[in-house]
Amino acid sequence: MSESLDKLHNRILSDARLKAAGIVEQAEEKSKQILEDAKAQAQRDANDILSRASLEAESIRRSILSSRIRTNRLRILDEKNKIVQGVLKSVEQRLSDIANTDQFEPTLKRLVLEAVEAVGTDNTLVKVGFRNTQKKNLQSLGQSLPKGTKLLADDTPIDDLGGVVANDPEGKTIFNNSFKARIERLDNQLLATIASTIFG
Amino acid sequence: MSGIEAVRKIVETEGQAKRIVEEAQSRAEEILARASEEAQKVRQTSTAEAEQRKVQMLRETRDKAEADARSSDVETDSLLGNYKKLFENRKDDAAKKAVKLVLGG
Repeated sequence: MSESLDKLHNRILSDARLKAAGIVEQAEEKSKQILEDAKAQAQRDANDILSRASLEAESIRRSILSSRIRTNRLRILDEKNKIVQGVLKSVEQRLSDIANTDQFEPTLKRLVLEAVEAVGTDNTLVKVGFRNTQKKNLQSLGQSLPKGTKLLADDTPIDDLGGVVANDPEGKTIFNNSFKARIERLDNQLLATIASTIFG
Repeated sequence: MSGIEAVRKIVETEGQAKRIVEEAQSRAEEILARASEEAQKVRQTSTAEAEQRKVQMLRETRDKAEADARSSDVETDSLLGNYKKLFENRKDDAAKKAVKLVLGG
């Protein structure tokens, strides 16, 4: 009786220990899995943070560089513009002084004929005004003008730089062929010519 | 051994067995709690390290971009400094062409 009771006692304890070992082993397995999962998730989180950081860094880099590069491009454009404007001033000066050159007569003739043709009527009135010009310079022009054209010499340069203005007798049609007006009409072409000659 | 004594001993043994299992359960709970704690630490450490690397990455990128921008400034300064010399001799040619264009000849 006592022997079988001992066996039962040992069996009960042995079963309990086996069950306990199983519980602990299961917990350890689960614990291992929890840690592995956590490490994998941590790696994914870190990758995500670094991936977003990489995008943010690229955005910061672009923002800093594009802003500065834009500013520097503007500085260069501004300088180029100053150079072109300087050349334009020089062009205006040369045009303003044209009466002192041998280009004056052919130029005057061309401006007047263009203006008369543009107005397109008989008895056109042509006002001529250049800096440092004398009336005798205009005399040769009179012979080459269409019949009925009346020439008026102005003491002051037309539109500051000089040129001619033609109109019909009623003053309804006016064609401004002053240097200033021609510069305005040729604005884009002039800028392109100057810029391409200087900057290539 | 009397029958009553035998029953008492079995009851005691059952109690002992129950305690063994309960202790194991308690230990299992501790193991899982520690694992959860450790897992949280692993994630926190990893996130903190990644955030630190992010800060460093952004700082390095900003520094490098600023350095590149300064280099662009220096390059532009040098370019602008040379502009006068570079284009001075072409201005007269440009003015002549422009005058010719205006005169229409």
